[in-house]
Amino acid sequence: MGGVFSSLFSRLWGTKETRILILGLDGAGKTTILYRLQVGEVVTTIPTIGFNVETVTYKNLKFQVWDLGGQTSIRPYWRCYYSNTDAIIYVVDSCDRERIAISKSELVSMLEEEELKDAILLVFANKQDMEGAMSPSEVSTALGLSALKSRTWAIFKTSALKGDGLEEAMDWLTNTLTGGTGTGSS
Amino acid sequence: MSDAKYFTTTKKGELAELRADLQGDKRDKKKDAIKKIIANMTVGKDVSSLFPDIVNCMQTDNLELKKLVYLYLMNYAKSQPDLAILAVNTFSKDCEDPNPLIRALAVRTMGCIRVDKITEYLCDPLRKCLKDEDPYVRKTAAVCVAKLHDINSQLVEEQGFLDLLRELLSDSVPMVVANAVASLAEISETSPAAADLGELDTPAINKLLTALNECTEWGQVFILDSISNYHPSEEREAQSICERVTPRLSHANAAVVLSAVKVLMQMMDILPQDSGYLQGLTRKLAPPLVTLLSTEAEIQYVALRNINLIVQKRPEILRDEIKVFFVKYNDPIYVKLEKLDVMIRLCTSQNISSILSELKEYATEVDVDFVRKSVRAIGRCAIKVESSADKCVSTLVDLIQTKVTYVVQEAIVVIKDIFRKYPNQYEGIISTLCQNLDSLDEPDARASMIWILGEYCDRIDEVEEILGSFLEGFQDENPQVQLQLLTAVVKLFLKKPTTTQELVQMVLTKATQDTDNPDLRDRGYIYWRLLSTDPAAAKEVVLAEKPVISEETDLLEPSLLDELLCHISTLASVYHKPPSAFVEGKIPVRKITLDKRPQQSESETTEDQPPEQLSAVSSDTQPTPPQDPQDPGTGDLLGDLLSLDLPSYNAAPPTIGGGGGLAEFDMLSGGIGGLQLGGPLGGGMVTAPPPASMAGLGMDFFSLSAPAPQPNNLVAPKTVWLNSTQGKGLEISGTFARRNGKVFLDATFTNKALGPMSDFAIQFNKNSFGLAPAAQLYVQSPLFPNQPFNTSLELVTGGVVMLMNPLDLLQVAVKNNVGVFYFSCNIPAYTLFVEDGKMDRKVFLSSWKELPSSNEVQKTLSYPLADLDSVKTKLEANNVFIIAERTVGEDMQVLLYVSTKLINGLTVLGELKILRNGQTTLSLKTNAMNVVPLVQSSLDAILSQ
Repeated sequence: MGGVFSSLFSRLWGTKETRILILGLDGAGKTTILYRLQVGEVVTTIPTIGFNVETVTYKNLKFQVWDLGGQTSIRPYWRCYYSNTDAIIYVVDSCDRERIAISKSELVSMLEEEELKDAILLVFANKQDMEGAMSPSEVSTALGLSALKSRTWAIFKTSALKGDGLEEAMDWLTNTLTGGTGTGSS
Repeated sequence: MSDAKYFTTTKKGELAELRADLQGDKRDKKKDAIKKIIANMTVGKDVSSLFPDIVNCMQTDNLELKKLVYLYLMNYAKSQPDLAILAVNTFSKDCEDPNPLIRALAVRTMGCIRVDKITEYLCDPLRKCLKDEDPYVRKTAAVCVAKLHDINSQLVEEQGFLDLLRELLSDSVPMVVANAVASLAEISETSPAAADLGELDTPAINKLLTALNECTEWGQVFILDSISNYHPSEEREAQSICERVTPRLSHANAAVVLSAVKVLMQMMDILPQDSGYLQGLTRKLAPPLVTLLSTEAEIQYVALRNINLIVQKRPEILRDEIKVFFVKYNDPIYVKLEKLDVMIRLCTSQNISSILSELKEYATEVDVDFVRKSVRAIGRCAIKVESSADKCVSTLVDLIQTKVTYVVQEAIVVIKDIFRKYPNQYEGIISTLCQNLDSLDEPDARASMIWILGEYCDRIDEVEEILGSFLEGFQDENPQVQLQLLTAVVKLFLKKPTTTQELVQMVLTKATQDTDNPDLRDRGYIYWRLLSTDPAAAKEVVLAEKPVISEETDLLEPSLLDELLCHISTLASVYHKPPSAFVEGKIPVRKITLDKRPQQSESETTEDQPPEQLSAVSSDTQPTPPQDPQDPGTGDLLGDLLSLDLPSYNAAPPTIGGGGGLAEFDMLSGGIGGLQLGGPLGGGMVTAPPPASMAGLGMDFFSLSAPAPQPNNLVAPKTVWLNSTQGKGLEISGTFARRNGKVFLDATFTNKALGPMSDFAIQFNKNSFGLAPAAQLYVQSPLFPNQPFNTSLELVTGGVVMLMNPLDLLQVAVKNNVGVFYFSCNIPAYTLFVEDGKMDRKVFLSSWKELPSSNEVQKTLSYPLADLDSVKTKLEANNVFIIAERTVGEDMQVLLYVSTKLINGLTVLGELKILRNGQTTLSLKTNAMNVVPLVQSSLDAILSQ
């Protein structure tokens, strides 16, 4: 069944689904983004104590997307999920100016991990629909993204509730994964 | 090449392979890997390190895989409590899965994961599952509540799960009802707070009865057990419950039958005792119980143990079924013995002849235990059914003729009981018994035979010789036999005094002089005194009418029987012990039958209460404070008394001549009259000016008022508590002092190390007086080398009290940047004497009188005292208050009465007797004897300063 296509695809990317982690502080909107990507709707969520994993198909590509809980107590266990990760979606609550510093330090310590050295980084400046949200460049500065070296990364302004920005981000991701290289843009 | 190669391996090992498989995305490999892991887990290999990888496989739509993961989680969550939190979200999701099997699986697994950290997250999913639309999920969730309650009962109560559980009692699906009932019952058994929840009301009972018929057998047992705890408000209700429970008696499962019997037994207490309905019920109860006896032996045994209880309460149930309790040749011995027991309980004048012929048959079997019990059973029949006594006795005589030793011995033991029950009827057989004297080698049988000989000595020829021959081996006999022998010989002497004087002399000598057994010796002495002072009284005592024994002696005590009947079909009914006797933490059952029980338990509790502490010293003016170190109980106190070092504790009774306690005792109580007692002690010079009129002004001696406390409290010089070797350069020396009514720890911290020290802190271990620092320790920080620093730390009471040995021991931990150091020091008691310890004179008087002389400790001081005034000043300055001063006798000895109160409220009374020659005796009286050495040494320190 579909032998020609599947063998073609497998030659390009292997049979492996692309593995994506969605990380970020608690309440940033990770679970909402996950289900927005999967079913295209906003679902009511409760704080994720643990993880969610779903398979997302976007433009004929299959992604295995892991959404990990962002509570302080769970962050230490993110490392259990690092191996074989192709891309990280780091979600930031653009309205939460107080904790942006914490968000930065979590991001920095995560990116230092050996297992993630080849992973692509997408930063979502989420909750753009709210008033007083930081702009992507503000977020980028606050997270110190410009200092990143030897890493493919991009930042997007998104609103998981409205669905804005997700498509661009996923497009960029598929392009990057399929061979096109891109550097920081918004 | 170096040997390092042996430590590096290219092979990653099985775990790494399994991990790779788990992380891969091939489903089949994943499942295989998990199966391998589970297999390893089952055989005991530790695969807990794969925990995170397995948890990551949890979110799958493959039910088989999910079940395996859940199985793994149940096993290892406890060993990986931190990582277990990663599973929480999946549980929450699975509890909302469209598939009820997955929802139930999730909620069941949640209940089995006993990790505190995640319990709170499980409440919401559990609440949803309790209200699930699918009965399978609800019934699983119901059980989960009990499991959660076991982990965290407070959480369950706060979250209102118990109410949800009660709601499930009215569920439309019987299985859910049964599980809810089981869950509630389990919760109420373990938690006193939830005990009320186990009690059901009438509508709830009706729902249970409706669900009863459609449940599985497990469910039926749960429901029946709960109903048996219910107390119907009226007879009609009890009757309707009986009607609906009765069909369960024909269930194939023995547990269901016994539970139904339990309910019916409870309800029968409530039904009117003469009603036809009750009789009908009684008839209906017999067949199911009989049926239980045709099952396998183990169940028969359980049934028989329960039947044993049932027939003690209501023998009429099985009265006509005696034949089923006749033993079969192939019954195991434990069943045989139980059947015998039940047979005896059921024997009446109607069925006695068939029972007797059975018993006679059994007595010729080969199993020794069984034969013995059969012989004993014959005796019990004789005692129980009077009309059968003749037959029983002749059966026993026949058995004695067989000359089988154990049969003969057992028979003699029961014949003794028969003689007690029917005196003066069967003495004819004594001669037969006497023929078998030589075969008696067991203490029981010998004691019984000797009792018979003594009791009927006037009718037995040559009884003197027989008893004499027993006496020869007196020393080697069992104590029980010795006692009987002693009594028998005394009886003989009282009946035939002329010929047996020698014999009685001999036995009394042996009993009183050649034995180590206090019982025997005491009884010997009592008899001896009785016989030597008043033989008539001896006759009345030794030959008194004995109360007739009855069959009741073997029955269980009625209250215990009632309690055990509440536990039919449980281990309690098999052991014949209340559950509290063998299950730890079990709340004693509250019997719900009508009346008497509650009252009884009340009276039991009052009896159980420890007798009120004698508060002689503190009497009414000074209530004993709660942290009284005596409080932990007499056992502890005793331990302390035993272990405390009491160097000067000589409890020698005071003698009047020596000027000891008794004289003062009288003087204090008598006020005036006692003065003369001091008289004969001899004359001489006086050390203190005598009052003008000693005799008339006795009470005035007490009117001395205490001078205001002076600031010159006793402070011991500082001693080194922690030397610089132990303290890694830190040296601490210190002492305790009392200033302005507060206790202070004065210490010098010296840094003898090379570098500065900082960050000082101090902590006390629990101590006898509950002392704790009132504030942080202040030590200059940094403390430079060779720099001493004096600090003073105020101490307060209110810390945790723990009796130390010795009492004044204080264990201290001091921390600084170098480390933590431990040392111990002793708090002198004089720093703990409080300012308000002055006792009212009257209170002092009455306290002194109330305290027994065993609470008095005397000591002669080994140092000369200063003049009286400075003694008084010193005492008062240290809160030892002078209550009275008195000069007595021709030698003008001075008596000072003092009282002091310790920081924990204990009061110590003292008397200081200063003789003219300077010799001083200190007597202390208190009801807390363990503080005496402390107070004694403190007074020594005060007086000798």
